Amino acid sequence: MILTQTKALFIDAYRELNAKKLFWLTLGLNLLVVVLYASLGINDKGVTLLHWNFESRFFNTALVSKELFYTLQFTQWGVPIWLTWATAILALISTAGIIPEMVSGGAIEPVLSKPIGRSRLFLTKYMTGLLFVALQVLIFTLGCILVMGIRGGAWNFNLLLAVPIVLAFFSYLYAFCAFVGLVTKSTIAALLLTILFWLAIWIVNTGDQMLIMQREGSIIQVEDRQLDIDKQIEFADKRIEQLREQGKPVPGDEGNPLPEGYEDIQEAVNPALRMSRSRLEEAKDSEITWTAWAGRIFTLKTILPKTQDTVRLLERHLITDEDMAKLMGFDAQSQPQNNSENDPAFADPRAAERSAEIMRKRSITWVLGTSFLYEFLLLGLCCVIFVRRDF
Amino acid sequence: MSPTMTPVIDIQGVEKTYNRRIKALRGVDLQVGEGEIFGLLGPNGAGKSTLVKIMTTVIHASKCQGTVLGKKVGDKAALRDIGYLPEHHRFPPYLTGRQVLEYFGAMSGINRKDRKARASELLELVGMESWHKDKLGSYSKGMRQRVGLAQALMNDPQLVILDEPTDGVDPSGRRDIRNILTQLKDEGRTIFLNSHLLSELEMVCDRVAIMVHGLVSTQGTIEELTADQSGFEIATNAPIDQSLLSQISTLPQIPPILDAKDPTRMTFQTDNAAAVQPAIDALRKQSIIIESAGFKRPSLEDLFMQVVDTNQGDKPGAISGAKGANS
Repeated sequence: MILTQTKALFIDAYRELNAKKLFWLTLGLNLLVVVLYASLGINDKGVTLLHWNFESRFFNTALVSKELFYTLQFTQWGVPIWLTWATAILALISTAGIIPEMVSGGAIEPVLSKPIGRSRLFLTKYMTGLLFVALQVLIFTLGCILVMGIRGGAWNFNLLLAVPIVLAFFSYLYAFCAFVGLVTKSTIAALLLTILFWLAIWIVNTGDQMLIMQREGSIIQVEDRQLDIDKQIEFADKRIEQLREQGKPVPGDEGNPLPEGYEDIQEAVNPALRMSRSRLEEAKDSEITWTAWAGRIFTLKTILPKTQDTVRLLERHLITDEDMAKLMGFDAQSQPQNNSENDPAFADPRAAERSAEIMRKRSITWVLGTSFLYEFLLLGLCCVIFVRRDF
Repeated sequence: MSPTMTPVIDIQGVEKTYNRRIKALRGVDLQVGEGEIFGLLGPNGAGKSTLVKIMTTVIHASKCQGTVLGKKVGDKAALRDIGYLPEHHRFPPYLTGRQVLEYFGAMSGINRKDRKARASELLELVGMESWHKDKLGSYSKGMRQRVGLAQALMNDPQLVILDEPTDGVDPSGRRDIRNILTQLKDEGRTIFLNSHLLSELEMVCDRVAIMVHGLVSTQGTIEELTADQSGFEIATNAPIDQSLLSQISTLPQIPPILDAKDPTRMTFQTDNAAAVQPAIDALRKQSIIIESAGFKRPSLEDLFMQVVDTNQGDKPGAISGAKGANS
């Protein structure tokens, strides 16, 4: 009986999606993007698009294999831009109405009067909403595997990992959408509030990345300044030694007091050290501030679903650390070196490298575990509301 | 309900309060026997749909004792044998008539083969076999109602609960639905009808209950409920004055009751025509023309109006909004 009912709900969801033109429109767009993906290529000079050639120092077959090139396209824009933005928005528009329509007057009574538990009914209906994304991502990914196999010469079925990952990403948003839809019974409210929620998550994620970069930048600055001070102390010590050897007076020695305002002999011998120490203190203060803010946003992010981190799991899986290091090296080379003191984080490619490394090394348990916990709690709340509500 | 009947619905003290202040049901007691067609009547906001929704687990009762099909009210297991057609139902417009039946059949746990066979059978029963491939969005209200009725019968239920089943259905469709109900009764099913159309109920119901302001005011067979007001009625061409009425009252027969609104009519509480002959003779002696004479039983509408009027003063302030409380 459970299987019959679940199957019926999924078939009904498929029919509902089938009846919506948006499902076919999205599918058409997905196939169009696959065609665009197929039209991209790489040769020994650079990147190709149809018959056009774009010379590149970094993207050519001497440095990047065809397989890595197609994997990169898939992980850099295929999934994070196309699937998790464009397709996700279309999917939300298509599925936002599923729960509000289910609980609307006249539609819910015949279903509730059947021998099916309310929690199971709600959760199955929620799962049917994910069917849209599952079908779209599956078709898109299969298309990309085909392109990579034919054009790139590598049949990488690991790309299929995109299906559960994008599904997990969408399920975070759809859980919120289902919650709003259940409470307000309004498709428009569910859609708009979910998009706002998504925007809020994006802001938190972006804030997290920026703060980590700032923190790492300030740590690097502290390290650099400390190194600079060490060199200056070394220089000062050599100078003191020279002065003593030459029998010249050394400030701070007996009978030759330290000038006012100087901390030690090294400073008195090398006045630039004083300025450097002061700048080190400033950098340490800055590090404390950025570390505190990065910690706060990390806490906030822990309780929220981690949409971007979830999607990045795909990149982690498909692109090896070695390839990533190579690519980061290209990036660092391509960025202009700017040692501006005002914006150390963005000026120093090491900060970007370190922050990318931190993001990449975040534990899968934290990324998925806390996100699924959020989803579990939200869906649990939905079930409580749905079970207790009178229709 | 006859004491020998097995109760299919046996509920006591059903109460429903919305938002802790709107009392939709105030202690409903109801018994429906197996194989009966039972009609529930009541004005808007009386709580009829709320009661039906409680029996089908769509709404949770604030207080409730008793059983439906031998299972505690609210037990989902009872729903396997209950078919329900809600008022103002809205089935998925993207499904065809057949798909609606098969979908709800599957939701009742019926296997694929049985679903297909049952759907064909029911489409024919409700006269929708020619439109079974068309989408519901293209159906008229009456056609949707027919499919809705078929949907309620998909699980071969013992108890069929129909909320306004003839709503939006044309007269020939209503007759068809009445015939279906009679057929279902003949098959031994119990039918619980919730309707505003009193004449419809009167034609098919074995027993009725009238709900007013969240309480069952009266229940029984139509004959039982109207027994007090049934009798032999004589209509004359001229009003009957008090002296003539006194004269007739002295005759060895059942005393007449003069209609307060229409003094040309008097009723004798008997179904025996011989018992009123002396009164007819007395009237004829006075050269009064008898326009009609015959046994008259009040209609269900008369009874309904009388019950509603009687209970008008009983209306608690908070109940008036009960109908819309859950919408």
